[in-house]
Amino acid sequence: MNLKTKLLLLAIALLNISLYAQDSFQLKGTVSDANNVPIPGANIVIANSTKGTSTDFDGNYEITVKKGDVLNFSYIGYVNQQVVIVNQKTVNITLTEDASQLDEVVVVGYGTQKKSHLSGAVSKVTNESLDQIATARADDALVGQVSGVNIQATNPEAGEAPTIRIRGVGSINASSNPLLVIDGVISDIEFFGNINMNDVESIEILKDAASAAIYGSQGANGVVLITTKQGKEGKTRFNLNTYTGFKSVPINENYNMSLAEHARRELAATGSLGAQTRAKQLLGVDHNWQEDIYNGGTISSHNFSVRGGSDKTKFSVSLGYLDDEGVIITDDYQRYSLKLKLDTKVTDKLSFGANLTPSYTDRRRLDGDTYGVLRQGPWLPIYHTAQTIQYANPGKQIGDYASQSDFTAIPLDGGTVSIRQSGDSNPFAQFNEVNFTEQRFALQGSLYAKYNFTDALSFTSTFGGTYRANRDQRYVGVLQHSTGAARSSSRFRSSHETNMIADNLLNYDKSFGKHDINAVGGVSAQKINTYYTETTGIGYQFDYIETLNGATTISNATSSEVDRRRLSFLGRLNYAYDNKYLVSLSMRRDGSSVFGDNKKYGNFPAASVGWNVANENFLRDSDVISNLKLRASYGVTGTDAIDEYLYLSLLNPSSAVVGGTVTTGFNPANIANPNLQWERSIEYNPGIDFGFFNNVITGSFDYYNRTSDKLLLDLDIPAATGFSNTVVNNGKVENKGFELELRSRNVSNEKFRWTTSFLASRNKNTLLDFGTANGLISNVDDKRAAEWINLVGHPISSFYGFVEDREIPLEYINRPFDVVGAQAQDVYVKDLNGDGVIDDDDKTILGDPYPDIVWSVTNDFNIGDFDLSFMFQGSHGAELRNMEVQYYYNQFSSSQDFNPATTPDQEFIQQKIFTSNIIQNASYVALRNVNIGYSLSKDLASTLGLSGARVYLAGQNLLYITAKNYTGANPEAVNSRSTTTQYGYHLGGAPISRTISLGLNLDF
Amino acid sequence: MKQIKIIAIILFSALAGSCGSDYLDPAPKSAIGSNGFYTNPEEIEAAVVNMYDGLQLAVQEEWALTEMRSDNSKTRSSEGVWAEFEDINVQPTNSVSADYWALFYNVIFRTNTVLDNLDAAGSSAAKFEGEAKFVRALSYFNLVRLYGDVPLIDKVITQDDKEYLDRDAKADVYALIISDLQTAIQNLDNQYKGRASKAAAQALLAKVYLTLGTNYSDAQLLCEAVLNPSSGYTLQTNYNDIFYNEGNSEIIFAIEYQENLANDAQTFSLEFTYNGRVRGLNYATDELVTALTDFGGTARTATSVISEDGSGVDTTVPADIRNYRCGKFVGTPVSNPLAGNDWIVLRLADVYLMHVEAIMAGGSETSASTARNSFNEIRLRAGMPIINAPNPVTKLDLANERRVELAFENHRWFDLVRLGLAETVLTQFAADNAAEGVSYTSTDLLLPIPQREIGVSFGLLTQNPGY
Repeated sequence: MNLKTKLLLLAIALLNISLYAQDSFQLKGTVSDANNVPIPGANIVIANSTKGTSTDFDGNYEITVKKGDVLNFSYIGYVNQQVVIVNQKTVNITLTEDASQLDEVVVVGYGTQKKSHLSGAVSKVTNESLDQIATARADDALVGQVSGVNIQATNPEAGEAPTIRIRGVGSINASSNPLLVIDGVISDIEFFGNINMNDVESIEILKDAASAAIYGSQGANGVVLITTKQGKEGKTRFNLNTYTGFKSVPINENYNMSLAEHARRELAATGSLGAQTRAKQLLGVDHNWQEDIYNGGTISSHNFSVRGGSDKTKFSVSLGYLDDEGVIITDDYQRYSLKLKLDTKVTDKLSFGANLTPSYTDRRRLDGDTYGVLRQGPWLPIYHTAQTIQYANPGKQIGDYASQSDFTAIPLDGGTVSIRQSGDSNPFAQFNEVNFTEQRFALQGSLYAKYNFTDALSFTSTFGGTYRANRDQRYVGVLQHSTGAARSSSRFRSSHETNMIADNLLNYDKSFGKHDINAVGGVSAQKINTYYTETTGIGYQFDYIETLNGATTISNATSSEVDRRRLSFLGRLNYAYDNKYLVSLSMRRDGSSVFGDNKKYGNFPAASVGWNVANENFLRDSDVISNLKLRASYGVTGTDAIDEYLYLSLLNPSSAVVGGTVTTGFNPANIANPNLQWERSIEYNPGIDFGFFNNVITGSFDYYNRTSDKLLLDLDIPAATGFSNTVVNNGKVENKGFELELRSRNVSNEKFRWTTSFLASRNKNTLLDFGTANGLISNVDDKRAAEWINLVGHPISSFYGFVEDREIPLEYINRPFDVVGAQAQDVYVKDLNGDGVIDDDDKTILGDPYPDIVWSVTNDFNIGDFDLSFMFQGSHGAELRNMEVQYYYNQFSSSQDFNPATTPDQEFIQQKIFTSNIIQNASYVALRNVNIGYSLSKDLASTLGLSGARVYLAGQNLLYITAKNYTGANPEAVNSRSTTTQYGYHLGGAPISRTISLGLNLDF
Repeated sequence: MKQIKIIAIILFSALAGSCGSDYLDPAPKSAIGSNGFYTNPEEIEAAVVNMYDGLQLAVQEEWALTEMRSDNSKTRSSEGVWAEFEDINVQPTNSVSADYWALFYNVIFRTNTVLDNLDAAGSSAAKFEGEAKFVRALSYFNLVRLYGDVPLIDKVITQDDKEYLDRDAKADVYALIISDLQTAIQNLDNQYKGRASKAAAQALLAKVYLTLGTNYSDAQLLCEAVLNPSSGYTLQTNYNDIFYNEGNSEIIFAIEYQENLANDAQTFSLEFTYNGRVRGLNYATDELVTALTDFGGTARTATSVISEDGSGVDTTVPADIRNYRCGKFVGTPVSNPLAGNDWIVLRLADVYLMHVEAIMAGGSETSASTARNSFNEIRLRAGMPIINAPNPVTKLDLANERRVELAFENHRWFDLVRLGLAETVLTQFAADNAAEGVSYTSTDLLLPIPQREIGVSFGLLTQNPGY
């Protein structure tokens, strides 16, 4: 059957055209395990041929055979079985677990390892239905899948990356992002945006330093290893996975007071309506801005793949398209992706492979922020109408964008009233009249050759890398700002990043007697070149052309280029004795171009040990304990994630104007630090893996303690030196915590299966040393200078300020009902030291933005042809500083100030933003994923010419419960201005949306 | 098999070998590694130009610390850190003040870079030295007047040179300023307006002497040297031309900008308008408008302030909400955050009035005809009545004249302090504007040392009294 025929089959799926040869016949059956649980994905191959199949979701298979064929049944972790075909029509197979390899193989970086031989903390997620979660990005789908990994939707506009933290935040100025490795090639976390989840076979996460240390200087924040799908020996398999969903945002009632409701409250409180309220009513507008900007959207994904191969050559090709409209009016994301993967054996000794993944994303970004819109009163129209124009200042026309500044003289009671509270230009215009688009082309690929000298010894040479071309354009249209063309501009940025890696590895893998040895050693060299250009044009008088030829003047044009290189030597030895005693030793020596001559190289050793207690004689026959492994690991990792060349004194070009002529100068850019060196993390991690009652209940528990020191710190220094900051190695941060994973097969029979898994992680972050910067107090926004403190003995960032005592009664507020949704600007605070005055000594730590516990519970049910799974996920203990409440509730209006003539105890009053009043609980519990599916029975599917079909209905965030005192739309949100030392600044951003989607997954 | 083995070994070692000793030392492409820089006069001159680049940044928010903190100007919206200036209540955490401190110390660093490398400057060494010392003196003069005792740094240091990081007595700071300016006077000519000149150094040194109040006679001589026609400076006939005819004959030293170029344009022209970041900064106080009405005369008032309505629209029609924004430095760039108006640091009218002040020599008035003549030059140009002999020029006359002549040019605060008027004027101003939150105590005469600097000073910096 060729591809064309297959496609034809798909097109006319209702027709069952049998093209099988006459002397063959159909064989059916089920593959299940010793507990009668069907095994999906088990391989059935006719020996000495390329023909084969695999079992569907219910363990069923069907294959065309002829008399005399030998069928080979295999599944990872189980003992292979062979059956000779005589004239059976049905062959049901029970595979037994392979005691020697109880489990799967785990990718560990520069190699694989049996899970039972693992002595570090590595989590594996297999893509069973992750690709059916309707999220635009692969990383978003991983929420709740692995303990110790916190994936936070810090700004979930369409296509935007979440923040991924493995076991907390260790670095302060260097990046805390984990390393991303795709099919063995070092990439970076940004490539998550280019990965199509449909192509992913499994994701392994190296959590402890001992496991990550093989990546040495890049492993300090954990490593995410992605293995993509490869074709399997046997018949060529086609898969179509498609879904379409709708995204929406529930109205946030906290920021939704209508003018009518406001008037009702004012009337109730004061007995009459003030001039402000009556003037607003004249406009006849009372709308909900959330409905205007959260316009919902659709998300759809279509993915088609072809995979297959012979015993010599395996291939995988896939094509994907994703379109996420986003829930805000101007966010939009599309991804086109292609993947090719090919492995071939030239001889028994020599094999080659290639892997190529180009992708293109096109995105319209939200410019500005949602709070700017939502703070506008419900009375403000978007556009002037015949009704509102009557009250507007002269110069406005019907259809013009309206702004509060247009209503400064509304005739009322014989005089005029100004209802302007905000000088913002029209909030809608700020979104609509800015066209901020971003296009990214990314290519990830590799080519390898592997030569087996002997069965045990092999050599692999890999050349791989990534290429990324990003460009964005931010066009500010002439209607965006009230000054029109004088603020119009178009900024073009582009960057090209070429990352090339060459790895040469020797691998030795041998079992003899009770000894299992696996060793790898090699050299890796990496070159990264980044080229950046930026050009800004100004003076656009029309919106017709947004490119630079529409500008009258080029105001800025620049380009820059940097190089970064690494050279690494690595080695690892894994040894297992009798499947009981496990040792792993590794060493990596990394050189990085970002450090000076004396400090270029860093050494990153690691060791771990394990003891499979369950394999000891005294437990071997236990009915209770089926698996028990004790492990302990110790490792050193590091990071060089800082800017290039800082060990040198750099001079940047500068310019001044002399006599009207622009003249070039050179400006020292830094204080050179020739002693700059690796930031280092040391982690130890005792853990236990267990399985009870024939592995009905399995799980693991890990404790870890990671101390990061010699932090690459952009240290604040006296400005009298000429610089405010310099990069030094200074400071120490500890992250410690535990992780628990529990999985159970509650019910397991042919008709009904129910499994549950529970994951929980706790992390505690403590600043142990901050050098001269200890106690540093800083703010994110000078104008609303709420403070953060970085104090030894506390988490890296803590909120700092006064403790709220009580609200100021409305009677003391100047004109409380001038602002819709009004609240006082200020609040009474506590005199903590009791000295009768409120000063800096009454400030204290008010909380921190790091969750204490993150957990998820997943239940999977299979009832006949139906299946259901749902995941609850939650986070507890984090706080955030919700600056948006000031924008919404009191709008910086002097009307919301207290009256200095009447208000008692004024010395105890502070602005709310400096107090615990706006510290809110960021905890949440979400119904993250629900997936209900129906799989066509084997018979029906084959009638349709399919080998499997599933229809599914999926939902994301159908329930999302936040803490009582949280008022915003996304407790995971952290404003992008928030740095590591000022984390948890919450202001606007994209809301959590819910998605309901319908999908279809066809195998044929 | 054997061949492949060999190839593999070659590949393996080739990779390790090809990464030669410089593999991990790629040279920067978009910056210069400075070892090997500052080796010839051209490179030193690039460091000189870089000082003026520093001034371009440093001076852009100076009006907040001087004009807005005096009785001359205010914000339109009373927001955040900006309101602290108009309320004369600047907190140690104030970021504008912290930036000012950091930017001027950065300028000082840039001057010290020049001075430390003069050996390579050849025959230009004296000239570059004069320029660097002028710019350094200007920076310290601003810092010492605003903050009092400040760290005195006369060479390139790092954060490890702790002995440089504590506060030095004002007298020591002034000693360096005076010696720097004397060198500058010796080494420079009057070729430039956008770079330091002899006249700029003379005028600045005169102001230093007036501020110290110890050497009025030299101050007078310095002013007379600048006023001497041989120096080449003349008053503009039309007051408006001072600000809108760049590089005119009245300008002694200005920080130059180029409109529409992101790296060389300034933002203060925009900040002084309704379309700025916080809807208007450095707006005239009622008191300034009254002073202009009383002493300014038509031309100066028309140039100095522009009246607008509550929506930021220019209007001369009386309205309920009427604001007066700064009329000097109004830019017309293609994109309004990229204005090119130069910032005038020293101009001849200032020197004429300093001349009067030097002759007054700390007294409350002077009847010297030389002083009266200088004073009347300014009055005449403004179309205002002159003071006829034998009437004296009083200190109040001088203060008022300076206020209206130099409004929005960052003189008012320093004038009040130098003329000994700060206490009375600001106390009255605070009393009149208490409802708007203005308050004044004598410790407000010095700004607080920025909290950030105290925090990172290893305990070496102490706070000014009253904070």
